[in-house]
Amino acid sequence: MKNSIKVERAKNNWTQAKLAEQAKVSRQTINAMELGKYAPSIVLALKLAELFETTVNELFTLDESDWV
Amino acid sequence: MIPSLFIGFYSLYVNYEPEFLNIKVFTMWNDGLMESNKANFTLIENNVLNEILGILIIVSSMFVAFSRQEIEDEFIEKIRLESLVWATYLNYVVLLLAMIFVYDLSFFTIMTINMFTILFFFIIRFNWELFKLKKASKNEE
Repeated sequence: MKNSIKVERAKNNWTQAKLAEQAKVSRQTINAMELGKYAPSIVLALKLAELFETTVNELFTLDESDWV
Repeated sequence: MIPSLFIGFYSLYVNYEPEFLNIKVFTMWNDGLMESNKANFTLIENNVLNEILGILIIVSSMFVAFSRQEIEDEFIEKIRLESLVWATYLNYVVLLLAMIFVYDLSFFTIMTINMFTILFFFIIRFNWELFKLKKASKNEE
């Protein structure tokens, strides 16, 4: 699964720490998600989308490897 | 946790059982393998040092293992679960190897230690994963 958290973060000029604080998760979680090491729960995905004022579909997209 | 571990290993090693800890305890099941008193649901004489140490080790390790992190979010929770599964596998691998390669009383000793190692394996693996994460996210701004 790919995501555009880093891009959205840059648009808003937020640090990982700031995003983490707003989403009430640890900074390591944000980092792991940006690196594609962790697929968040639906609740966290919805929260992030709301913080970036976008939709989950735009923030997260499936890639080839998800179909294997 | 550390002191109880220390005394635990020491008493296991030299068979240390101080007199004053010989007290009557309630037992549900006692087939009298070690002692001659064979009876269920009665009081028997027993040295309680190993019981006290066992409880201390388990309770203190549980505190170390399962106390919440500063920020306990879903990702940390996932690592926690993974580490617990990993520790269970490793614990049984060790036990299996011991079954094949260790016999007699040495096996009994390993079994005694094996009761507690699952928590230690968990603590080590969980903290190692957290350490790796912290290191990985340090160089990001």
